[in-house]
Amino acid sequence: MASAYYEFYRGSSIGMALTDSLDELITSGAITPQLAMKVLQQFDKSLADTMVKQVKAKTTLKGHLKTYRLCDDVWTFIVKQASFKMEQNEMITTPRIKIIACKNGDAIEAGKK
Amino acid sequence: MSNKIVPTIYRTVIDDVIASIKHEFEEYGVAEDVLAELQHKWEDKVIASRVAEFEPPAVPAPHFPPHAMQMMPQYAAVHHTYAPPPPPQIAQQSQVKSEPVDGRFMSAAYTLPPLPGPKINGARPNPGGQTSVLSFAPGPPQGRAPTIPQVDGPSEDSDDSATPPPATFAPRTSHPSLPQPQASSSSAPADSEAINSDLDDSDTEDEDLEDGAGANTDIVFCTYDKVARVKSKWKCILKDGMIHANGKDYLFSRCTGCVAG
Repeated sequence: MASAYYEFYRGSSIGMALTDSLDELITSGAITPQLAMKVLQQFDKSLADTMVKQVKAKTTLKGHLKTYRLCDDVWTFIVKQASFKMEQNEMITTPRIKIIACKNGDAIEAGKK
Repeated sequence: MSNKIVPTIYRTVIDDVIASIKHEFEEYGVAEDVLAELQHKWEDKVIASRVAEFEPPAVPAPHFPPHAMQMMPQYAAVHHTYAPPPPPQIAQQSQVKSEPVDGRFMSAAYTLPPLPGPKINGARPNPGGQTSVLSFAPGPPQGRAPTIPQVDGPSEDSDDSATPPPATFAPRTSHPSLPQPQASSSSAPADSEAINSDLDDSDTEDEDLEDGAGANTDIVFCTYDKVARVKSKWKCILKDGMIHANGKDYLFSRCTGCVAG
């Protein structure tokens, strides 16, 4: 079942912190790579479920699209002068941001097949 | 505020993963303190990445007592390290083999001995203006993690540690689901007859260069419900996103994007 979740969130801050930690434990011989993969699969699931259940924030994005790409149902955008407007008028602006977007719901469906 | 919820969400994810994976550790015959060690390492790295304000009081009591007991002192210790150079992290460094660490989580105190600034700067062949200023910053060395361009794999800075990660565990490259711009740009020239290959090449190279040269690689991981284009206007509905921008993380459940090409 765990394989029904996207793995790409492992590239996020919390995911990289986990992969680095697992890497250290593998190198020191405390765990096997197989067990580490299990942990990562659990992370995929826990993260996706927690995001869906607990994150409610809505935001809008404006900016200039520099690059777009659709490959294997994964969109990649590079947006210049991006500004995210969060709730309560919180603004995040950045000169350049890369957006990696996988198709919503696809991973779950693929797992059910 | 989507940055304020980050500690709570990350806390939930860590607790959930650790609680759910416990039986796997038992199945593999791995001692429970290894699981606790994993949790500590993970929490330390998340805190050291400073993607949000992780306050000890904000930590809700986890559901399973054994780890809670071990976790609380850990949080307190790390919290103190924000002002003076951190003894706990140094101690950890000596226990743990030196290891390629991703730039986003690497603070000066984390990977280097607590020597004065010039030494740190000298050890780092990255003369980017912003980086050197940050390296010299007095006070807490981890004012902000040195922004080493990092796309995937182990940090190049740690090459001298001579412990390459096992081939079976390359975090990003081993996952085909992750878009990997390098792979596409290196394979493109071989296929020079492909349509638009010239355009694609220059475009991706440009992009890769920017990725490499960018002081901070701001990135969003999300899913999409809809992506539509009318002339040069793109409208997209993004879901369940993790934004990493300006060194901070933000989360959203829905993002309506309207960008002009």
